[in-house]
Amino acid sequence: MHSLDSIYLLLGFVEIALVIFIQWQLYTINIIRTFSIGSFLMAAFFLVAGLVSKEVYILTLAFLTAVARGWFIPRFLVKTLKRETWREREVKPVLGVASSIIGSLLFAILGYLIYSLALQPYMSTNLAAVPIALMLQGAFLIISRSNTIAQLIGYLVMENAMYMFGYIFPELPFIVEAGIVLDVLGIVMISGIIIRLREDSLQNGDSEFNELRG
Amino acid sequence: MEWIYILPVLITGGASLLCILPFLKFEEDISVAASILALASSIYVATLPDHVNAFMHVDGLSKIFLIMISAIYVGVVIFSIDYIAHIENKLFQMNFYFFLLNLFVLTMLFTVIVDNIGLMWVGVEATTLASALLIATENEEAAIEATWRYIIIVSAGLVVSLIATIFIYAGTGTLSLSKLLAAHPTSQIVAVGAILAVVGYGTKAGIFPMHTWLPDAHGRAPAPVSAIFSAVLLPVALFSIVRIIGAAPILGVQDFAFWLGFLSVAIASLMTFSQRQYKRLFAYSSIENMGIALIGISVGGYGFVGAIVIIVAHAFAKSATFLLSGNVLAAYKTPFISEVKGAYKKIPLTAYLFSIGALAVTGAPPFGSFLGELLILAQVLKSFGIVWTVVLSTFIVIAFLGVNYRVARMVFSEGSSGSESDGDADHVKSPVAVAAINLALALLTTFALPVIYKML
Repeated sequence: MHSLDSIYLLLGFVEIALVIFIQWQLYTINIIRTFSIGSFLMAAFFLVAGLVSKEVYILTLAFLTAVARGWFIPRFLVKTLKRETWREREVKPVLGVASSIIGSLLFAILGYLIYSLALQPYMSTNLAAVPIALMLQGAFLIISRSNTIAQLIGYLVMENAMYMFGYIFPELPFIVEAGIVLDVLGIVMISGIIIRLREDSLQNGDSEFNELRG
Repeated sequence: MEWIYILPVLITGGASLLCILPFLKFEEDISVAASILALASSIYVATLPDHVNAFMHVDGLSKIFLIMISAIYVGVVIFSIDYIAHIENKLFQMNFYFFLLNLFVLTMLFTVIVDNIGLMWVGVEATTLASALLIATENEEAAIEATWRYIIIVSAGLVVSLIATIFIYAGTGTLSLSKLLAAHPTSQIVAVGAILAVVGYGTKAGIFPMHTWLPDAHGRAPAPVSAIFSAVLLPVALFSIVRIIGAAPILGVQDFAFWLGFLSVAIASLMTFSQRQYKRLFAYSSIENMGIALIGISVGGYGFVGAIVIIVAHAFAKSATFLLSGNVLAAYKTPFISEVKGAYKKIPLTAYLFSIGALAVTGAPPFGSFLGELLILAQVLKSFGIVWTVVLSTFIVIAFLGVNYRVARMVFSEGSSGSESDGDADHVKSPVAVAAINLALALLTTFALPVIYKML
């Protein structure tokens, strides 16, 4: 196996482990920092891959990942937290610690199964199991947490998985990549506004969310 | 003359920028003018030959969508002027509302004329960006919660469609829509990509099982925002599915789309009976209509023509119904069906149009939606046989009864709130004309069938 592919698989393993860590973390600041670490690791991999292949495209991807996902988005989310950041935590998680870890692990395994049973025959690479597992873990993070920042991080984990797909398959035209980065930044910023508004309304106490079921 | 084709996009972009400028205080006039100019330019574009280059793909389908989006845009802008002004404790000022509304329309117009499926994804995702805050305009707890659900569910779904785009690119080496439409790739990886695209864009179109954001967002957004969401946002997401299925007409993908559409119709029609709020009731009706349209897209042939007819007729009828629901809300101050009684006495014009609108969105003759459903059912009969056609027809009838029974009770039942108008609805009376025009257009869609067929 190509050495870069081995590093890719190692990165994938670390990313999956980081998402499992995020899954059971209750403190929001830890969730954001872990996502930031995962993004910087991904940027470091793209940097190495870009230097080895001498592809400007991959180097640009490394830069965008580090700046947007590693630095800007986590910083923006930390600023969004209104109270002392170390205090911010999910009071009543939907799942407990053990079931969160098991759930996330099961989704990672499910990702591998989906890949090996359904997709492997049609793909020329063995690497695609990693992003599929990350995608499912991100989706699980969204549905299993009620904390808005944890849900947003779940979405961003899915986006990171998409970027890892981007390494496996041929590069997309730059204008499309740029559009994707702008869109993701926009989604995060709009989400930041909604998170603030949501915190305000929840602090007011009254709830009328019964209608939002079914 | 190529720029003529992007004129509607340029007009809405210009209007958006003008609305956000702090020293200009004419955001309403600017938006009305922009919407009328966008409609006029869209109609003009429709008279021109199809145009395809490296950036644009303007064919008959694009032209139909350009006109449909622009026409709904006009009505929504006019309705918004009065309606949004009367909202207390707004999340933002009027100029920012119109900035977002114009930007939202821009992203939809962009999506339907672009030749690159990667940029098409960017356009659809940008609609989320531009429209999310519009849902929270009324700045209430439930509206903010609905906005959050909209952002997170739709964005997660669109990540799936982005991966679909990457798969299609991996299988074909191009993102150009015109090249894909010419090549019709059928490799397995393209098939997987196309299936993921149906799921991803289906999320935005309110297709089962990722439809859950839709009743929340439609139920809590202000009436004009619900109207534009249901009328054109959902179809724009379906437009992307049309393009992907058109580019990769693979049997397995079409079957997958058919069953998702079928389940959407089934779930939505059954859910209409458990709804307590009229805007959520119409939201489920939108899911049902998009499900029927997806079935038409998947079966192709006359079913595809039927799907476009339904999309157009539904756009006009549903926007009218949601706009009128704003009047009902203003008059009764309640979103609950059980608390609205005798509307024909209190707000007669709104009430009668409301019941006509309910008939139009549920496929009653002679509206275009009826014709569209007939064409789709005929094609389903041909492709899937009598059993599934009967089952599908049953669900359509269930939805028809579920919606119209509730609306009839709101409009015609006698009750304590059936007194004469107390004047509360006065401030939103003028836009009843907008709703009436849209309902008339939903009716005219039936007669526009030959034109639509020719354009496709």
